[in-house]
Amino acid sequence: MSTLQHTSLAEVEQIYTRLQRTFKDGTTRPIAYRRKQLLQLARMFQENAAAIEQAEYTDLGKPKQEVAIAETSGVIESALFAAEHLEEWSRPEKVQVEEWRSSWDTTVYKTPKGVALIISPWNYPFILTFNPLVGAIAAGCPTVLKPSEVVPTCAALIASLVPKYLDSEAYAVVNGAVTETTALLDKPWGHIFFTGGGKIGKIIATKAAQTLTPVTLELGGKSPVVIDEDCDLQLAARRILYGKTQNSGQLCVSPDHVYVPRHLVADFKEAVKVAYSTFFPSETALHPNSHWGNIVNPSHHSRVKGLLDRTLGEILVGGQVDGAKRIAPTVVTGVKPDDSLMEEEIFGPILPILEVENLDETIKLISNGSSPLVIYAFTNNEETKEKLLNRTTSGSLVFNDTTIQLAVHEMPFGGHGESGYGAYYDKNSFDTFTHKRSSINVPAAAEAMFGARYRPYSEEKYALMTQSIHSKIPEE
Amino acid sequence: MDTDSHYFTIAEIEEIPARLRKTFRSGKTLPVAYRRQQLIQFGRMVQENRSAIEEALKKDMGKPRFEAGTAELVPTFTSIITALNNIEEWATPEKRKVEEWRSDWETMVYPVPKGCALIIAPWNYPFVLAFNPLAGAIAAGCPAVIKPSEHSPTVAALSAKLVRQYLDPEAYIVVNGGIPETTVLLNHRWDHIFYTGNPTVGRIVAEVAAKHLTSTTLELGGKSPVVVAEDCDVEITARRVLWGKVQNCGQLCVSPDHVYVPRSIIPAFTEALKRAHAHFYPEQVFNKSMEWGKMIHCDHHNRVMRQLEQTVGTVVLGGEVEGDTKIAPTIVTGIPLDDALMEAEIFGPILPIIPVDNVEEAINLIAEGPSPLVIYAFTNDEALQKRLIRETRSGSLVINDTYIQLLVYELPFGGFGESGNGTYFGKHSFDAFTHRRSFLHVPTSLDSTPLFQARYPPYTQQGYDAFTAILNTKLPES
Repeated sequence: MSTLQHTSLAEVEQIYTRLQRTFKDGTTRPIAYRRKQLLQLARMFQENAAAIEQAEYTDLGKPKQEVAIAETSGVIESALFAAEHLEEWSRPEKVQVEEWRSSWDTTVYKTPKGVALIISPWNYPFILTFNPLVGAIAAGCPTVLKPSEVVPTCAALIASLVPKYLDSEAYAVVNGAVTETTALLDKPWGHIFFTGGGKIGKIIATKAAQTLTPVTLELGGKSPVVIDEDCDLQLAARRILYGKTQNSGQLCVSPDHVYVPRHLVADFKEAVKVAYSTFFPSETALHPNSHWGNIVNPSHHSRVKGLLDRTLGEILVGGQVDGAKRIAPTVVTGVKPDDSLMEEEIFGPILPILEVENLDETIKLISNGSSPLVIYAFTNNEETKEKLLNRTTSGSLVFNDTTIQLAVHEMPFGGHGESGYGAYYDKNSFDTFTHKRSSINVPAAAEAMFGARYRPYSEEKYALMTQSIHSKIPEE
Repeated sequence: MDTDSHYFTIAEIEEIPARLRKTFRSGKTLPVAYRRQQLIQFGRMVQENRSAIEEALKKDMGKPRFEAGTAELVPTFTSIITALNNIEEWATPEKRKVEEWRSDWETMVYPVPKGCALIIAPWNYPFVLAFNPLAGAIAAGCPAVIKPSEHSPTVAALSAKLVRQYLDPEAYIVVNGGIPETTVLLNHRWDHIFYTGNPTVGRIVAEVAAKHLTSTTLELGGKSPVVVAEDCDVEITARRVLWGKVQNCGQLCVSPDHVYVPRSIIPAFTEALKRAHAHFYPEQVFNKSMEWGKMIHCDHHNRVMRQLEQTVGTVVLGGEVEGDTKIAPTIVTGIPLDDALMEAEIFGPILPIIPVDNVEEAINLIAEGPSPLVIYAFTNDEALQKRLIRETRSGSLVINDTYIQLLVYELPFGGFGESGNGTYFGKHSFDAFTHRRSFLHVPTSLDSTPLFQARYPPYTQQGYDAFTAILNTKLPES
């Protein structure tokens, strides 16, 4: 592991000043400029895919396929999509209004909010830095990127690549830890986009409140999986285990735990064992052939291992530990709602299975917790869908798969309640960094109908200007 | 609870968030039929109590019936009718079009209520600023607590009485009181907080919300400047600027705070202002028949007077004071940038005129300053309008009028930067209280397709190659 070079506080100041000036100069406004920067971003990933994979392997032991699918191709697609649509997104919107003011040029202008700050986490360091950046570039916002110091090779690579491909007058990387991040948060921004845990999310939102800076918080939570009566258990087990194994469970939308109706538990356990042996044909997942990744650092490793050590459930498969580096994908059965594995978001490769009587009990247990980023359900039952829609809350709701919603860029992605607020992907990313500035232009000719609005007030003027309150209210 | 004064005890207030959460969890506010029913009741509440509301506004701040009717009742009623006319459309899940290869996946976005909302309203437009947001909360399916300002107590008490009479008491509750009561409310977690008021308290509310990871709409204020260009119609400009300024004696978030006027037209502009003033006030302004309102309380009155007393400008009209409640509409010319009247949002009936060499100078000054709720500009020069759009920042931009944007409910209304964030009016009110919940239903048949198979471990070079095709696609040149 390399030691990451921190940006000096003096340089942080210079960067902030420089980017503010760039914004004021209007450099990032022209569509052609934004398109160019987006294409450069796509080029950056195309030309450095191997280096990116290597950095992720060094810091996280992440298999290159996961980097390719979840990070590299994701950013390229997102940048190209934005480049293609940004002109349409930035076009001022002519708003239709009531007839009598239709000559008032009622327009909503899409204006960049200002200089933006993107703070990203260690688990998917490239996409979670650059996917939001796509929105900031498209919106015309110069941006400071603050990658996570917990993945120093990745952070250093980001710092070396960005100046080579993007305009340094508008896009800069600040590396460091608490000191540098605090220096950034002391300042007002056009928008702060934070992805990470709730505890830090609160600190960031509090600092942002002091400068009245708007914030997007993409947090986490314990995303539950619901197994329903009529689902295909083999398929469910495979798709759940697939989701869980992504980045050794270190994913905001990782399927955290599974609720299984009592009478299906035995069959589900068998299905899990089958899926497990298909994914990891070698005796243990820690075998070199399995390319099983790391827990990011000893501190997290000890945390996750601690949860597993204290469980009162039974290990079905897995359970092996590799020093302070890795934990094998592990499925634990007979877990109760007050188990250690249910205390916090696991963010590790442990899958607890909880037995329930039925869907109603599952919904009750889910509703006791805070709103997660996603609820997964394996079902084809319309009634189950209605129940989950109406009786639970979550960022998203996904049926019959896990984690794939990250690839469906046409739908807004974001949390609800304690899993965060704000959303992004496609136009939502653009909107995140855009202020919708309403504008009207009231012609002199309108003076003819404005007589009643001016003082001195009179009964006639009052009657004329308040007649709309007499409108008939619908009966139902 | 004391039903006469409509105040809950602290102990009772502590229970309210849980009560509302129970209502929300029960799903009662979800059906569109329920929300329509509440909105209809809400509409009746306004229609059937117009006089009582207008009288309460008169009592608390001397607001003329005309302003109570046009600025408070009409916009509230409009927001209710707009919600009733559109709620089905707003609440309908949206089918998202996706890439061809996943077009048979169910991809819907469900607009769902965020949960329980807290609406905190200020004293200056105490009825509309509590109830316009409430229309959005009801339409969105969110139970809500409304906390009116204690500085407009007659309206606050009436609001509590009417809401209890007309709306579902298990879902919409008015909580009255001061700082202790508001603190109790803010100690609980809400799913959205809608705050209208000043930036100082706005920051405090935002910090409290941050600790609970609660989203907020902050409708704040600022010094909304007016820019007058040489090409303007001086007569109409003066009339429209004064009109905006005298609304509620200047106690309005989008009040035209001060005016930049090119030196060449200052004499004509000042005379036109005087003519407009004479038109508005045929009699002495403090005569009862002129229905001139009050400063909300003496602290506020004194603060505004202090700014006026410390000005180095020249009072060319007005300046009269009645007790510690009334200040006449006052025009002060020759204002330098560091004048006392330029220190803070005036929020009173004083109009400072700042001489500039030309309109470009004004635009430069505005571009340097913080972002106000609105910038007003009087000009027909398109190039100037473009400059304003490009070089200045504000919640909204209004050309050739003041104040009237509050009635254009089809456009989002909100601040930017120091003047706040989030918007409302029309569908934006619904959106403020709504979470868009993405719903994805993935067919089970896909595991037989090669791409899906390749995603599962054990990973292969073949799978990797398939997923990295995009690395080799040729990028457009520009």
